[in-house]
Amino acid sequence: MFLEIIKMSIESLWGNKIRTFLSMLGIIIGVSTVIAVVGIGKGAEQSVNEQFQGLSANSLIIMSSRSRGSTGSSNLKASDASVVKEKAEYITEATSLVRGSETVSVGKESANVSILGIDHNYFDVSNYTLKEGESITEEDIDSREKKVILGFNTVENLFEGDVDLVGQNITIKGKSYEIIGVLDEIGSSFGPVVPDDSIFVPYTTAEKSILGTKAFILLNLTVGSVENVEVATQEVSAILREEHKLKASADDDFRISDAGSMVGAAQESAQLMTVLLTAVAAIVLLVSGIGIMNVMFVTVAERTREIGIAKAIGAKQFDVLSQFLLESVALSTIGGFFGIILGLGALYLINYLNIMLIAYTVIGPIVGFSFSVIVGVFFGFYPAFKASRLDPVDALRGE
Amino acid sequence: MKKELAIKLNNVHKSYFLANGDEVPVLKGINLEIKNGEFVALMGESGGGKTTLLNIIGVLHPLSSGEYYLDGENIGEVQDDFTLAYIRNKKMGFVFQQFNLYLRLTALKNISLPALYAGQERQVREKKAMELMESVGIKNRAEYKPTELSGGQQQRVSICRSLINDPEILLADEPTGALDSKSGLEIMKIFSDLKKRGKTIIMVTHTSEVAKYADRVIFLRDGKVVDNDYKLTSHY
Repeated sequence: MFLEIIKMSIESLWGNKIRTFLSMLGIIIGVSTVIAVVGIGKGAEQSVNEQFQGLSANSLIIMSSRSRGSTGSSNLKASDASVVKEKAEYITEATSLVRGSETVSVGKESANVSILGIDHNYFDVSNYTLKEGESITEEDIDSREKKVILGFNTVENLFEGDVDLVGQNITIKGKSYEIIGVLDEIGSSFGPVVPDDSIFVPYTTAEKSILGTKAFILLNLTVGSVENVEVATQEVSAILREEHKLKASADDDFRISDAGSMVGAAQESAQLMTVLLTAVAAIVLLVSGIGIMNVMFVTVAERTREIGIAKAIGAKQFDVLSQFLLESVALSTIGGFFGIILGLGALYLINYLNIMLIAYTVIGPIVGFSFSVIVGVFFGFYPAFKASRLDPVDALRGE
Repeated sequence: MKKELAIKLNNVHKSYFLANGDEVPVLKGINLEIKNGEFVALMGESGGGKTTLLNIIGVLHPLSSGEYYLDGENIGEVQDDFTLAYIRNKKMGFVFQQFNLYLRLTALKNISLPALYAGQERQVREKKAMELMESVGIKNRAEYKPTELSGGQQQRVSICRSLINDPEILLADEPTGALDSKSGLEIMKIFSDLKKRGKTIIMVTHTSEVAKYADRVIFLRDGKVVDNDYKLTSHY
């Protein structure tokens, strides 16, 4: 009997193809929006997570910034790292990074490459791993060795074909540097440093021999535990102010940012995007639901006489209710089904055209589909209920 | 045991309420008894309450007051949809002047519909429908839709529909009113035949030609029964 009622519902929908299609359109758009939104939102979250992968929430980054009113460069020095590490209670690791760029040549090839002067423990702190060769040692730092480690992409830029790189030499500012290692691919990372496109040298070498005053200093600190990030920030600030001999009235000549809160902010904005897009989708579904309700009212009004007949020949209120409810659910479910196809198609297209990072999830279609069924039941119920309560004699007279 | 009385009405009143709250009494104390197997015609002036009375007997309308005994049981105050639907479905069959068929459905489906609501299997109900169609000579019209049938054929479909659940009582509201006299005659022959097979028939009509087929005529005027065994020849 249930099947018969479903069959009758579908027949009646089929009898009004254009109206059926138009009222379905809202659901189709609504559900496909939900799916696209979930895909895009999840994609954004994923890309944030990927971007900050390998970055622990307990790292602090200190960059130079000129204090207001003063001229000349910041007082931040690579050696501040060791001062901080020595004096600060909450800091367990401190490395400095000297950043700049310089022309690097190999044979006749030359390119302007980002140079990173690093401390001996920089790779450990940053979670970078070597593909081959070895890292820079403390002795290399102390004696300002002319040794380099290549970032993943620089190999391709400077050398042709597969060659054994370790042990070869490259030339920077007319001096020869020995390649002692090559990094694994790191991917994108936090801050202005792109490790894959850089070459690494001891920071002492970078500061004195290569970059000089062009050097941009960055300190990379690790706080003992995440809870202490805030106190550590204050502590480090005090130590640096003292070290740089800043007056109480002067602004900091450095800037401390903690990775945790930056990752948090980025994740929050990605989540906010999901929430906003979901709200848009919810509104679209609501509007489509109202459309369905409207169509169902028209349908009930049109079939008033039929309802009267049905009741006169023994249909229960429940029979009438389920007949119309099934019709609206069929309407929204079929719409939901096409919505899923359209939504997944849109995601595929966005991905194919490389517009945005997309995450395919089961959540999108499941949420979209259940929403369409819920919309059908919710917005179909009232018209169906009204239909079921019609007085049979009035209904027979109607039309 | 089948009771002798199919229907008994005691002082039945029915009023409608207009939108402004005014009460319009239509039935003003109806008393009547209809025996099992009887063929009764309801006659009277327009607006005299014939159709309202038929709708009350067919539990399409609730009564305003009074008692309605169906098979000896007072159902005048029953409001439960389940019971009312059961009575309309199994106890009574309705035949309308305007046929009231589903235009979207074939004759066969139209006839089977009450059996669908009664929860019968498709094979069972369609077999029964075919038998009924054969008995009124429209078996070859099973797959036709109402719009493809003549008025007489549509009314036969509608009679078959009223019979599908084997009710004891048939209610007919001017069953020949929309038909030409020849088709009307044929329909009345079907009703006589049904009466012979033991059905209780209550029929509203305003033509004495049609009323002649009944065992007895109940005459209504201004919401009251003025004659329980009205003699046709005296007025018409």
